[in-house]
Amino acid sequence: MARLFERRLTPKDSPLVILATTTTAFFSAMFVTSFLFLSYGASPFQAYFALFHEPFATLRGFGYSLVRASPLALIGLGTIVSWRSGFSYLGFEGCFVIGAAATSWLALLMAPGAIIGPLPFFLFLPLAILFAFAAGGVWAGLVGIVRARMGGNEVLISLMSNYVAIFILQYLVSGPMRAPGSLPETRLLPRNTWLPFLLAGTRAHAGILIAIAAAGLVWMLLQKMPLGYELLVTGFNPLAARYAGIDVARHLVLAAFFAGGLGALAGMVEVLGSQHRLMDGISSGVGFVGIVVALLARLNPLAVIPTALLYGGMSVGADAMQRRASIPSSVTFILQSLAVLLVLIFDALRYYRMNFDFWRRKPPTVAERVSN
Amino acid sequence: MKNTLEMRNIVKRFPGVLANNNVNLTIHAGEIHALLGENGAGKSTLMQLLYGFHSMDSGEILIDGERVRLDSPKDAIALGIGMVHQEFMLVRPFSVAENTVLGLREGSGPLLDLQRAGQRLRDLSNRHGLALDPAAKVGSLPIGVQQRVEILKLLYRDARLLILDEPTAVLTPREKDHLFAILRRLRADGRSIVIVTHKLNEIMECADRVTVMRDGQVVATRTIGSTSEQELTRLMVGREVNLRADKSSQKIGASILQIKDLRVEDETGREKVGGLSLEVRAGEILGIAGVDGNGQSELAEAVMHLREVKGGHVLLNGTDVTRLSVARHRTMGISYVPADRRRVGSVTEMSVADNAILGLQRKYTRSLFRNIADARESAEALVTRFGIRSSGIDLAAGKLSGGNLQKLILGREIMRGSAALIVEHPTRGLDVGAVESVWGELLRAREEGKAILLISAELDELLNLADRIAVMFEGRIMGTVDAAAASVEEIGLMMAGIPVRETSMAGGEIKETSHGETL
Repeated sequence: MARLFERRLTPKDSPLVILATTTTAFFSAMFVTSFLFLSYGASPFQAYFALFHEPFATLRGFGYSLVRASPLALIGLGTIVSWRSGFSYLGFEGCFVIGAAATSWLALLMAPGAIIGPLPFFLFLPLAILFAFAAGGVWAGLVGIVRARMGGNEVLISLMSNYVAIFILQYLVSGPMRAPGSLPETRLLPRNTWLPFLLAGTRAHAGILIAIAAAGLVWMLLQKMPLGYELLVTGFNPLAARYAGIDVARHLVLAAFFAGGLGALAGMVEVLGSQHRLMDGISSGVGFVGIVVALLARLNPLAVIPTALLYGGMSVGADAMQRRASIPSSVTFILQSLAVLLVLIFDALRYYRMNFDFWRRKPPTVAERVSN
Repeated sequence: MKNTLEMRNIVKRFPGVLANNNVNLTIHAGEIHALLGENGAGKSTLMQLLYGFHSMDSGEILIDGERVRLDSPKDAIALGIGMVHQEFMLVRPFSVAENTVLGLREGSGPLLDLQRAGQRLRDLSNRHGLALDPAAKVGSLPIGVQQRVEILKLLYRDARLLILDEPTAVLTPREKDHLFAILRRLRADGRSIVIVTHKLNEIMECADRVTVMRDGQVVATRTIGSTSEQELTRLMVGREVNLRADKSSQKIGASILQIKDLRVEDETGREKVGGLSLEVRAGEILGIAGVDGNGQSELAEAVMHLREVKGGHVLLNGTDVTRLSVARHRTMGISYVPADRRRVGSVTEMSVADNAILGLQRKYTRSLFRNIADARESAEALVTRFGIRSSGIDLAAGKLSGGNLQKLILGREIMRGSAALIVEHPTRGLDVGAVESVWGELLRAREEGKAILLISAELDELLNLADRIAVMFEGRIMGTVDAAAASVEEIGLMMAGIPVRETSMAGGEIKETSHGETL
């Protein structure tokens, strides 16, 4: 009669339980992926050592991990702001591209002999941040307006807007912004616009500091500011928000603006910190992986930084694993996807409790169904 | 007398809750048995066990003296147990006959024989006085008739034990009388009926015996002749409760909220409020009576400008606020407690503290930031002042009981210090203890001189709280009566759309004067 798993009336939601289900899910994903390693004849232990040693235990690798983590974290933060406000935005790939293009345009103006000419970095950076944020904000804000004023579906529209942005990028790098030469890309950006490098001998740049600052600001917005409170109410229950006098449409557009701005900062960090020029294919899916990072961080702005580092590090480690254990780096992608799936699925565990009486009492037999 | 049903020593444990603790219940053949208890007393759980929704941890169920096992509603139906849920399980575009045979195999072969079913349905309907047409589309039937369709479904399946969960919550007084008449005929037919309820007067009116539950246990079983409402209340709540609100007579002040010739349409363009005029004065509770769906919610939403106003005006202290934003309405001094506590009135995922400042978030600030310390302090004050039982202000509001959540929302709106307060169905689904305290708070707000517009479907509530009662039917005021002199019959007639001579005069008068002012 008693069931082994009994549904709880309310889910268990202490931080400890959430941490436990998340880590259990992650290790389960690693366990399942082990079988893939075995199928390549490699030892899972060696493979995992290769996967995690280089990005987290070597200075050079750690530098690369930071480089990969910065845009992921910024896009994750954008996801958090929009999703927690009830705006299911998926257009971060587009925002990334728009941000990268806007930043490159601005930076090229700073070249010696160009319109503005060299500007000190401490003046250029705030300008670039504002400009990129505004460009991405308006880009995503348009989707917000369509949703808020006309009831359009933001999931579809934002997804499609990614392609529009990518076509705009292709036009720019093969047309007006193209550098002389055979490749569709701009000139190298002037040195005085590059983000400073952080660790000698590595590629780590100041982008991670921007990401950390942004995480703090997003946390402050959502937890400490009245606007953030209103955004959260809008996200949890738009009906209650409306009845409480919150302008739901306006808040959706605002959420879209912030999300787009953060996504564009990711693009800015990428061009100023790592690529130093705008080129076709600069985004390569980072706008989607960033969403995954946010999900894995359970939409918590402070958890995004370590999660982005883990994710960025794993993609660095994937290459090392391919070299050292000759396992295709795409296995890492399977592991990453599996981790997200299992984290989402394992969440269901919080709704159940195990009923240990189950083993102690014998379930009645069919014959007992109609007794006497 | 033969026992149709016997439940013995039933124990059901949910994680952290002992929902049924050694419960014994006996239902005789041919009786109407009321199951009485506050929310959370375990009566719904007990009925769900009987209907096969849950499995019990221990105990036994006997039907006609034979031990049975119920694993699913299917088993229950096969054993002649039927249930009418609070929310009807009907397919609205289907006819009565189609709804009735849904899930059964009628006729021979793969084809449905609705003809034969229809004949049987007509017979059943005539025999039990259900007055149903098998060909009518369910969606077009009034709520009271839909409920009879649910009963017909059970009779069609030869149910001998009918469980009705809060059957009168959605009915007009007339529909209620009709329902009770049907139940009496079913009883005469030898069937047993269990009514799950917390309305005492209805139990006294139609039940033969009553079993009272409290905290998962049966407190007592009484025959109706040997008990009284007072005793049942005491058994149910565990203490003396005074459900006669003592309304102080006080001077009614200036006109605060004026509604003039208001017209509102629903999403499909049908008129929901048609040229309605009302006036609420300081220190007065104006009750709006009416069966759900006669435009009361639309009226409240239009006053707050949550819904587009097609015509007319809303005045607060003489200022036209008709088309100002919801936020402006609130800051200018109209508060609103919507009917749906969990979906509209609160954000259940957020904490009690966060819900206590919903709508006031821009007040509790220090420069750019939220003044969380002050907000928490006022939340604590709210919890103390309104006696909200909560394990702390960090608890998610959704975990509060209905009564405590309602007190939180009502308290929040009262503490804003608004001059006018619109309250919609404040005690719907609450148990007696909670009703008592919500009523007390509303009267306290009245004494503080607020102008209160109270929308309710409970006549008891209106007669106890309101100074005047306006009856709404199909978007119009059928009449306004002085609560002290009003009779239930009179209001009941107006709720059903039948104008009563003297009172409709009074309504017309108000309408005309306010009309004169706008011109």
